[in-house]
Amino acid sequence: MNAVLHRALRVGPLLSRIVAAMFGGYGLAALASVAALALPMSKPQAVLTGMLSSFAVFAGAVVWVFAVRSARRAWAGLLVAAVPLGLAAWSVWRGGAAS
Amino acid sequence: MSGWFHGVAFVLCLPGFAALALAMERHQEDRFGHAFAPSLTRRLRVAGWGALLLALGVLVGAQGWGLGLVSFSGHTSLAAGLVFVALLVQGRRQA
Amino acid sequence: MSTDKPAKKSPPKPRGIRQSMSDLHIWTGLLVGWFLYAMFLTGTVSYFKDEISQWMRPEIAHQAQVPDAAVVAQHVADKLRTEAAGSPQWSIGLPDARNNVVSAFWRTPGIEGRRAFQSGTFDPVSGDKVAGRDTGGGNFFYRFHFQFHYMPVLWGRWLAGFCAMFMLVAIVSGVITHKKIFIDFFTFRGGKGQRSWLDAHNALSVFGLPFHLMITYTGLITLAALYMPWGSQAAFKTPAERQELSVQLSAFITPAKPTGQAARLAPIEDMVRQAQARWGRDNIQRVNITLPGDAAARVTVSRGDEGRASVSPQYMLFEGSTGKLLETKDSVGPAAETRGVMYALHLGRFGDTATRWLYFLVSLAGTAMVGTGLVMWTVKRRQKLPDPDKPYFGFWLVERLNIAAIAGLSIAMTAFLWGNRLLPLDLPRRSEWEVDLLFIVWGLALLHAMLRPAKRAWIEQLWIATAALALLPVLSAFTTERPLWRSLLAGDWVFAGLELTLWALAALHALLAIRTMRHSPKPKPARRAAAPVATTATPAGEGA
Repeated sequence: MNAVLHRALRVGPLLSRIVAAMFGGYGLAALASVAALALPMSKPQAVLTGMLSSFAVFAGAVVWVFAVRSARRAWAGLLVAAVPLGLAAWSVWRGGAAS
Repeated sequence: MSGWFHGVAFVLCLPGFAALALAMERHQEDRFGHAFAPSLTRRLRVAGWGALLLALGVLVGAQGWGLGLVSFSGHTSLAAGLVFVALLVQGRRQA
Repeated sequence: MSTDKPAKKSPPKPRGIRQSMSDLHIWTGLLVGWFLYAMFLTGTVSYFKDEISQWMRPEIAHQAQVPDAAVVAQHVADKLRTEAAGSPQWSIGLPDARNNVVSAFWRTPGIEGRRAFQSGTFDPVSGDKVAGRDTGGGNFFYRFHFQFHYMPVLWGRWLAGFCAMFMLVAIVSGVITHKKIFIDFFTFRGGKGQRSWLDAHNALSVFGLPFHLMITYTGLITLAALYMPWGSQAAFKTPAERQELSVQLSAFITPAKPTGQAARLAPIEDMVRQAQARWGRDNIQRVNITLPGDAAARVTVSRGDEGRASVSPQYMLFEGSTGKLLETKDSVGPAAETRGVMYALHLGRFGDTATRWLYFLVSLAGTAMVGTGLVMWTVKRRQKLPDPDKPYFGFWLVERLNIAAIAGLSIAMTAFLWGNRLLPLDLPRRSEWEVDLLFIVWGLALLHAMLRPAKRAWIEQLWIATAALALLPVLSAFTTERPLWRSLLAGDWVFAGLELTLWALAALHALLAIRTMRHSPKPKPARRAAAPVATTATPAGEGA
């Protein structure tokens, strides 16, 4: 039982990072692609700018998740990045609903 | 003949990279047993970069910036790869 | 973790960023490596897909001169009046220097979704439907490259995108792991012995790095609308709004509502001539016609690939029934143009022949990069096996999949071409059978790889690939009217070039087979931790 617990404890942080990278990374990229709509340009151009840069955000997020010292920091970093992007995206949703 | 600029670019890039490689101390030691005089090294470096820039000029002149840059990227990749392989093979032979 | 870092002067850091990036690189590479290899190889050959298609339709003569696009467009449009009667949307691809047939597709009226399109191949001179064997041509490799096969198209594209995202991470982590490479650009050569696989993998990765990074990122961009639709969904609620975006991306305009009022299509030829005047006689790519025969018909004539590294839409829009020029679209917004350039860089269609060859060679290097990476995984871990003849399951699996995914794919792709020459011309579903044959052979290769000892399997498959490639021009000489010698005499560089390339590829496989035969695995070294072993261990035997 102890061996299983030890295994789980060792694998846990790694699994957490994998989840953070794949889902968190993609999520951040998706968020960035929506946040791009807040940029001062016509909607089609903003949509495309968001699309074009989203994959760089994804790659950056994944590298971050595995570069930092702990799984906790990995998630923290993603959340910190998500805040300004989320705010921008939220303002777009609000603005979009209004127009 | 169309496409002449590709031939010219290749003929410039290959020796260009070879010169840059030879301008590195480690290769001088490996191939010739000693480092070159600093003036020779500097000249090799100038010649190498010069050849590459000239190739860029030829390609951009013949194809415009967009296509020229793409061609240049292809030529440099190929030439650098060939020089690298030559160094590898040589290093293996000498060992 | 075994040492794969270049000789470090300082003592190894405790699990620093380079180590974690190395692990990330290895895992992302391994998990999708077999798919990536297949994507890379089929992508590489796709740069010559039109030539492959020509070779796969030997009944259609070599096209010495590109026919006049205007005349061709008219012929095909006339044909489509019967062939595609009632269809609200026609699309005619115009001939160019690399294509001796015209492909057209049209929407079947009344059916929605993906199945709604029908297509046909037409002779550019007569306008008749092509009288050649039923084959998909090189387009099979092209489509496989981004949507695989035997699965719904969306799944295939998602799988390809997933692999591409992993590839992007592999590239970035690879660069961080070996960032020293950029400092010691040419001096990164490990030298002797076991490092040969590492040398090869690193050389191929570094020299093609601009290309590999570009091709991976731009690959994601080509299907970005699928992978990242969120911005578009957030911004556009109505179809009209979505149109704002789509006109920035393509020349396919949505048909207007049909008026029901019949009106004969004005001569397409005249419309294309206007476009030719603007962009060049042979620089017209497509003619799209919506609602032909209706008063609301529209015709767009779009610009060809030549001389411009962007796929952003440039077209002339005509009123279908009168031929009046309504709009000339010459530019799109900056983000759209950036996307257009990135898309074009991936496709590489803008290039002249030499540029296309450069693309092919560097892309082939990329394929080899993935392949050497996969093989390196087993080479490094073989040393650590307690009993190399009885590896653990994961190792066994990776090793056998490597053989089938790499050597086996060469055999399978060549079998596809063999099938093109050998399958009976009147076989029903012939073009699908050509593809099925590829997968059947691939499956047999996997079986072979699992049943034979690993090294034997590699050698045998590499030799089979060599033979298959080398004999293909011979087969073609016996089964068609276009043997190599005749193509050379006639200056038919499509056929001759392709067959000579097959021989070059055969030679490459033979070289790999010989090196594998000569390679003897390193004797088990003393188990030493991090310190890289200075080379006394392996003088000879390391041919690979």
